[in-house]
Amino acid sequence: MGVLFKLSLTGIKSRFKDYLVLFSGLVMAAAIFYMFEALATNNSFIKANATFSLAPFVFQFGSVLLAIITFVYILYANSFLLSMRKRDYGLFMMLGAKSSKLGQLIFLETLIIGALSLLGGLFVGVGLTTLVGQLLISRLDATATHFTGFYLPAMLVTGVFFLILFVVAALLNQRVLRKTPVLALLKSAAQPVHVQVKPAKTIGQIICGLACLAVGYVVMRYIGSLQILGIGVALVTIVLGTYLVFNSLFTWLLARLQRHENFASHGLNNFTLAQLNFRIFDYNRMLAMVTLLFALALGAITTGMGFQKNIKVYTQSAPYDVVLHDPTTTVKQAAAKIDIKRQNHYTYKVGANVVYFIRDQFDEQPLNAQKPWRKNQVAAEYQSIQGQQMTANSELRWQQSLQTLLLPQDSQKTVKLVTAATFDQVAGTTQHLTTIVAHDFFSDLPAIKRVTKLDQQRNHVPATYALGTTKYDMYQMMNGLLSGFEFMGFFLGVAFLAMLASCLMFKILSGAANDRLRYRMLDKIGARQRLLRSAIAKEIGVLFILPGVVGVIHVLFGLQIFTTTQLLPNAYHDLWLPFLIFLVLYSLYYLLTVKLYQNIVLRK
Amino acid sequence: MTTQLPLVDVTDVRKVYGKANEKQYEALHDVSFKVQAGEFVGIMGASGSGKTTLLNILATLDQPTSGSVKINQQEVTRLRGNQLADFRAKEIGFIFQDFNLLENMTAYENIALPLSLQNVSAKKARPVIEKIAATLGISKILTKYPTEISGGQKQRVASARALVHQPSILMGDEPTGALDSKSAKSLLDTMTTLNQEQQVSILLVTHDPFSASYCQRILFIKDGQIGQELNRGEQSKAAFYQDILGVLGRNEQQ
Repeated sequence: MGVLFKLSLTGIKSRFKDYLVLFSGLVMAAAIFYMFEALATNNSFIKANATFSLAPFVFQFGSVLLAIITFVYILYANSFLLSMRKRDYGLFMMLGAKSSKLGQLIFLETLIIGALSLLGGLFVGVGLTTLVGQLLISRLDATATHFTGFYLPAMLVTGVFFLILFVVAALLNQRVLRKTPVLALLKSAAQPVHVQVKPAKTIGQIICGLACLAVGYVVMRYIGSLQILGIGVALVTIVLGTYLVFNSLFTWLLARLQRHENFASHGLNNFTLAQLNFRIFDYNRMLAMVTLLFALALGAITTGMGFQKNIKVYTQSAPYDVVLHDPTTTVKQAAAKIDIKRQNHYTYKVGANVVYFIRDQFDEQPLNAQKPWRKNQVAAEYQSIQGQQMTANSELRWQQSLQTLLLPQDSQKTVKLVTAATFDQVAGTTQHLTTIVAHDFFSDLPAIKRVTKLDQQRNHVPATYALGTTKYDMYQMMNGLLSGFEFMGFFLGVAFLAMLASCLMFKILSGAANDRLRYRMLDKIGARQRLLRSAIAKEIGVLFILPGVVGVIHVLFGLQIFTTTQLLPNAYHDLWLPFLIFLVLYSLYYLLTVKLYQNIVLRK
Repeated sequence: MTTQLPLVDVTDVRKVYGKANEKQYEALHDVSFKVQAGEFVGIMGASGSGKTTLLNILATLDQPTSGSVKINQQEVTRLRGNQLADFRAKEIGFIFQDFNLLENMTAYENIALPLSLQNVSAKKARPVIEKIAATLGISKILTKYPTEISGGQKQRVASARALVHQPSILMGDEPTGALDSKSAKSLLDTMTTLNQEQQVSILLVTHDPFSASYCQRILFIKDGQIGQELNRGEQSKAAFYQDILGVLGRNEQQ
């Protein structure tokens, strides 16, 4: 064991750079997982902050999804690890190492790498959680007093989960090595690498694949009426369609390009095509999976940011930005800081069960009353009505709209409109109601927040009261509800992206060792270094672009689910921002992969 | 001989492995020789004699510690980067012991590679490739992949790839090393024909006396130095073979 262990350590040392990549990938996976767990399960954080009540559920859901993809990711990272060590293991066996001893060694090696990356991941995770937690708190406009990035239960869950994953990976590695003959280990580079395709089968698969995708896209359009059945059908057809398209359409296209002599005979194009032809065949399942994850990740980010737009839509729908009740000078001064567009003043008296307003005041200053709900309406709609129109017939429309403007203790009472003369005779003190509409709610948000708080203090309204209908009340409510979704969508999207791009990266890098000979040969027959580098960039570029393009198409059709069900009526607006963010991150992964691949393949 | 400038001119080439402060090992010690255009020259030596180091330096795959190597009047030891790549692509054809074919491309595509690197159009390349394939007797297997053909055929494909761009010189590093005796003999016959009928200059590194007997002139390398030179002259191949064996035998006993 001693000698073998030393040998294995030197093996790791000599490929330290490659291990560093693997390592940082695993560290990030553990860190992101920990962050999700910590945000989802941190009770002291949740209990202290009423507005976060939905966050744990949302994050717990996210961490389950994350667990699944992390598992897949670990498997790919593991195959990369194995590809790096295969030759060494073969050599040890040839030198007479017993396969059981070697098995122990592999088991130990995988576990050590796992444990180290887990420790690193928890460390990074605490930092990440603190950062994201603070961001989330400020985003939700709340003050959380009990929040720290360190949370023991989440650490335990992350630790146990990753240890189980690594034990599984270690067992798999052991199995693979025991089943592979020594010679195959030593010569793992020499595999048959060209593929014959039958045209009829390919055409059939192309048609089937495209048909499946079409069915999936159409089903998503009618998800409203098909409900759960639709989701099931879309899931199956899109997964199947994606796989078939990768298996047939792209190999067919490559073969067509290869036959295009003027293109193929230029520089190293023919070589790149040959490489790709083999790769896509070998990678089709992988590429299909990456495509689906790509669609999920991009979808998560897009819908996450869509919810942010929803907050605006709901907020804008409220008729008044803020309502003041008997404002003091302090309140009035604070209100004067708002860039006011329109301001109405009404007087009212509160009786035992009735609240009186003067009808004439509404003739001069019409009320914004809520319209009756129509089918498929997203947010409440308002229209301005005058005092004369506020009759018994239209009572439903103005009665409730007026009630919501009153203080909580008055909001259940019946509202009556009377003449000025009658109003004077009614018992009770005259109170003042001021409605304010600002030019731009969001730019005046800090001032509006201050005025609202002052009005609440003045009238002894508890801060938790959340039944008001001002823009500020709406904003508070929707922000608390939807920011959780927004954040989850965003982080889940980024986490998914990180994992899927890493999977792709490791899969590509696992093959790099086999490509060294080919590139060295091209170097020997006089291919310029720049040509070799650009050949690598092109080859990997295609492997990144294909899932990207298909994934974007999936998302563009998939967003229909949100528009037809009215969850996100404006899902297609301003798509460029999430797409751009996603593109930048994805490109970074691409560049990293190219760089690493070039280092492995072109290393002298 | 003549006043014609030599095709390959090697002067005082030294190759030392190991850094200045480490234990050093001298693989080549002041090696000098010339090869004229149209010659078929062999370099012979035992394992560790320095013959592969020498060939790698000639093929610009490695650089000497000191000394000069001129191929076609061009000093190759000073070439770097793109110049080096372009020199390899235009002036040198190389055949390796283990073929070094790209197994994911057909024989035709493998042979076309050096032409693609020079951006020769597909239309112009086709007749050139078909001609060299016919010369080497591999016209029928051009659409096959390396895994589908025999070792002898693979080495012919590799030779076609080394010759398709009409390099100044064809270099071979034990090209028959991985072939059975029949394929080896056939390949060597083809090389002789190329040398005699198309004046292709050939430089062969080998430790096998039978392969060496096809050459016109043999340089024996031992412990990093060229010890002896043998000219075939008008001798028969069999007689030359006996001479080579004689030299090798004497070298063994020293």
